[in-house]
Amino acid sequence: MAIRVHKEVLPNGLTVLAESNPANVSAGIGFFVRTGARDETARESGVSHFLEHMMFKGTLTRSALDINLELGNLGAQANAFTSEENTVYYATVIPEKFKAMQELLSDMLRPALDPEEFTMEKKVILEEIALYRDRPHFYLFENAFKDYFGSHPAGNSVLGSDESISAVTRDEMKAYFDRRYSPSNIVLAASGNFSVEEFLSDARALCGEWTNFEVDRDVSRHTSKSVYKEFRRKNLSHSHAVLLAKGASAQDEERFALSVLSNILGDSSGSAMYWELVDKGLADSASFDSDERDGTGCVMVYVSTSPSKLDEVVTIARGIVSRPMDFSDADLERAKAKIVSRIVLDGELPMGRLMSLGLEWNYRRTTTPLSETIAKVRAVSRADIARALEKFPMNDWSEYRLLPE
Amino acid sequence: MITTHQLANGLSILIEEMPHVESVSYDLLIPGGLVCDPEGKVGAGLILGDLIGRGAGPLSSRQLSEAFDDLGIRHGEGVGSDRYAMSGSLVSDSLTRALELVSYMVREPHLAEEEIPNIQSVLLQDIDSLSDNPARRSMVELSKRYYPAPFNRPSLGDADGIRATDRATVHGLWRKLFSPRQAILSIAGKVKASEVLKTVESLFGDWSGDDVKVPQFGAMPRHEYFHIDSDSSQMQIVFASPSVRFNQQGYYAGKLAVSVLGASMFGRLFVEVREKRGLCYSVYARHGSTIDYGTVTAYVGTTPERAQESLDVLLKELHGLQGTVSEDELERARTNLKASLIMGEESPGARAGSNAQDWWLIKRVRPLSEINAEIDRVTVSSVDEFLAAYPFKPCSILTLGKYALSVPKGLTGEG
Repeated sequence: MAIRVHKEVLPNGLTVLAESNPANVSAGIGFFVRTGARDETARESGVSHFLEHMMFKGTLTRSALDINLELGNLGAQANAFTSEENTVYYATVIPEKFKAMQELLSDMLRPALDPEEFTMEKKVILEEIALYRDRPHFYLFENAFKDYFGSHPAGNSVLGSDESISAVTRDEMKAYFDRRYSPSNIVLAASGNFSVEEFLSDARALCGEWTNFEVDRDVSRHTSKSVYKEFRRKNLSHSHAVLLAKGASAQDEERFALSVLSNILGDSSGSAMYWELVDKGLADSASFDSDERDGTGCVMVYVSTSPSKLDEVVTIARGIVSRPMDFSDADLERAKAKIVSRIVLDGELPMGRLMSLGLEWNYRRTTTPLSETIAKVRAVSRADIARALEKFPMNDWSEYRLLPE
Repeated sequence: MITTHQLANGLSILIEEMPHVESVSYDLLIPGGLVCDPEGKVGAGLILGDLIGRGAGPLSSRQLSEAFDDLGIRHGEGVGSDRYAMSGSLVSDSLTRALELVSYMVREPHLAEEEIPNIQSVLLQDIDSLSDNPARRSMVELSKRYYPAPFNRPSLGDADGIRATDRATVHGLWRKLFSPRQAILSIAGKVKASEVLKTVESLFGDWSGDDVKVPQFGAMPRHEYFHIDSDSSQMQIVFASPSVRFNQQGYYAGKLAVSVLGASMFGRLFVEVREKRGLCYSVYARHGSTIDYGTVTAYVGTTPERAQESLDVLLKELHGLQGTVSEDELERARTNLKASLIMGEESPGARAGSNAQDWWLIKRVRPLSEINAEIDRVTVSSVDEFLAAYPFKPCSILTLGKYALSVPKGLTGEG
């Protein structure tokens, strides 16, 4: 069934997207802000994510407790996340609660940034940093990206550090908000069982007064490099390696070909990495992904295994990515079938559709019906993959390892 | 609409037609699981669970994997404490092929000896990497000490048990346990029940096997405070205490009481431990139960210097619930539980899973109206009655981190 996406841009620049499907029993709603770690200065490191927490800590008319209790009263499954490039606030509710959820979420996007709440939440963020410090593979990813992207902001840390979070002030956070949270830098999207007309008219009433201002982002491509680095940690029982090379951006047409290639080479099952490494018991995890960012991108190999096997595992993984065209037509068709099936299954739930609607708008300023995305995946040919590899030849690997001390 | 049917060999079939969706999901549950692993070979079930996917019926390991992938079937085969489970989601016109592949895995797995060392190697690596996830490790360590044997077996198996398992062990387990007698096949999505029944009959009708005897759940061990030294940034604090069993008197009162305490952002633990004191990032309480037992678990992860205060506040909230739950709090918990049940109706995977779970526990599928009525019947006084019967003490507490904490006397120590 073809479902239409309604789009309206309010006079202040806020884009509103609505995809209603009366067959759903719930509705998803979310604000997608095109801001994240890559839009921070060094002093602000971690402030996007900290601000995301502060959105739940009170507005002009609601206290933090009011927000928590109201989310409870609505029976909402609500959450938020921050990445290098997006900050997303979202909720799923039953249709009767949709209107109230839209009102609450819209109010939350105008935070009070109360100084006492700010001080309290800072402690929570420091605990979150401590939590991830205990997860070695997270530590490796963060340090590998930071080194790989170098001076390019795509490698900025989402959580920030103990030092940057301890130092950041409430006023600096407010300045960041005033620089990034312009309605023209935000999309409000909804998907599922709700009334489009009411949603659009409520959006005009609730968000129409937000002040618009210019927002920009450095979307240059990063400079590729080829380095080898080792990180060491105490009490590590496992070792990990990340390999990065230049890849397609979220805007490059080659992303379809590279996503199919990723599935062939490095999906969690049935891929070259799986058969060569996991099936044989050499690695407990081995993957290849295309990590498409705003204006830039990379491809990534990740493996984890016992320290004594890491050399062998990395050699095999490098061998696989050095012969990327080494697949059969059946492998190609199978990979496409897996991707299409995932798109269909994820698209069946309001939250799945909501995420693709909002994120696609932030990256490409467009909306694509599921059927069109599926057609593009199905159309990927061997020649398309070969052409994508001419542009992104995967011969400039940087390698990062995490090993026991 | 749900159609239920039992084949002559004992296999229960549950089919829910969901005309508004495009996909279909299946769940096959077979009693067994880690509790049925032979002594000294805990983890053999994990090897069996993996091995059935590495070649079955006319298909080699690779062919079987490719057969699933050709149709884009998202599938998983796993082993729980008391069961083997095979599940999958797919676009509906491939259901017959998906069930055929499942029947090969269950009825004709090759159980190839040469695959076993590869599986052992990955399972041993999984056990090794547990120390890289302290939150998960603390839960595993508490379960080992909290539940009676063999229900305390770790979900990742035991390293020695995995090493000691050979093909004969795995083959023996498969022969003994993979039987249709008490198995359940649950299907939900865009299907016609009559057509699916015919398919299932032809694929599984001549499957045979004996009754499977799963060990009885025994007496709970003595409750204690345990500490494990670990040089990590955060201290893990986990709590467990007995609660009401599934669908017994007070079951929904218990679920709602624990929701008032620890559900999501409106629960008392989130508000008191995180929001008001900033002691942690992650804190929660959960209610879990089977026909045999119910458990309330609670968790907080925090840096060592704030760990004692975190534990104190956690215990104060847990043990201060009785007599203090307000109508508003109960209503919020009720709204949330009902909303999550309605939203769960939407996904074929969730429906197939919850129908199977109902049948597993009580041999029927409860309509949503019946569950809602049960939830509506809960009052503040029935919550207090539940809390009088299950006061969250005695309890077991485990900490994992730089040093042990002080636990009030009298909380633990009773069997």
